[in-house]
Amino acid sequence: MNQDVVDEALRALRRADAGIEAGPEAEIRALLAFRRYRRRRASQRIGIMIASAAAVVALAFFYRPIRETPRAALAQAPVETAAPPVAASEPRPELKHVAEKRPREIATDFFPLLESQPPTERAMLVRVTVPAATMRAFGLPVGDQYLSDPVQADLLVGQDDLARAIRFVSVRE
Amino acid sequence: MNDIEQQWLKRLLKGDEEAFAALYRARHGAICRFALHMTGRMEVAEDVTQETFLALALHGGRYDPSRGTVTAFLYGIARNLVLKRIEKERPEDSAVAEFASDEDVLEDLTRRESIDEVRRAVLSLPATYREAVVLCDLGGASYEDAALALGCPVGAVRSRLSRARAMLARKLAPRCLVI
Repeated sequence: MNQDVVDEALRALRRADAGIEAGPEAEIRALLAFRRYRRRRASQRIGIMIASAAAVVALAFFYRPIRETPRAALAQAPVETAAPPVAASEPRPELKHVAEKRPREIATDFFPLLESQPPTERAMLVRVTVPAATMRAFGLPVGDQYLSDPVQADLLVGQDDLARAIRFVSVRE
Repeated sequence: MNDIEQQWLKRLLKGDEEAFAALYRARHGAICRFALHMTGRMEVAEDVTQETFLALALHGGRYDPSRGTVTAFLYGIARNLVLKRIEKERPEDSAVAEFASDEDVLEDLTRRESIDEVRRAVLSLPATYREAVVLCDLGGASYEDAALALGCPVGAVRSRLSRARAMLARKLAPRCLVI
């Protein structure tokens, strides 16, 4: 079989189909789909920017690593109760009392703060206080009258000091 | 041309609708023809074209200018979408059987001045070889662009193309002897 004939046949097909293209309806559909995608992305970015800004501001004012919290509470407890010093081998009822009264926490899932997550080698959980409006930015229901109320949140901060994710915490005594 | 397309892509990724429309108008014909030659169905080709450009808006950040042109990147997206359609619908099965039973393909082509049978012959090729022919012979893509779109070395494109042409030659052989 002569390859020239195949080449000629393919050239003929190419010439015949050179004018074929998607119709104008396809272009309109593509443009509408692009607009939908653009709107969705813009709203996501705005939400993330608001939440990130609120989290960073709150972090600057209310930085308080979680791990230190129970230790600080335990260390302060004996002072507050003004109990007499006891031997190390004796039971310490006042510490047990503090532990039992530790607030119960209910947390949401983590919401990502970065569109593309950089690799996380180490992470630290940081408890911050943010306005309740931040929750709304992540799609959580918040009444208008509560938007400025402070709520507790945990920031997951990576080794590069960038906050990766946030979750909201309800603290109940 | 590729410089302009790269600029359009950058703007498109920032949400510029004009850049999206410009790139679509410049390249939708090529993508549509690629999908048509691969699937043989215009409605599928139009769907694939639309999905290709939307996927470009979503994943265009992965484009690496050092690896090839924007068009080649578009072909790569379209190819993935087409292969998914082919896998789901398998339209070539009937085309192969139909073509295999016809021994006067090129005679009809010459007599009726029609290229429909050649189109069917291309459609009857296995997808791996068909995409090489559609990209390089029908789409006019360079071997380098085809290699990027197909995710294989340039040498593999050449060998697939050679094998595809040989298969086409066999399919069209009976008629060639008459000519």
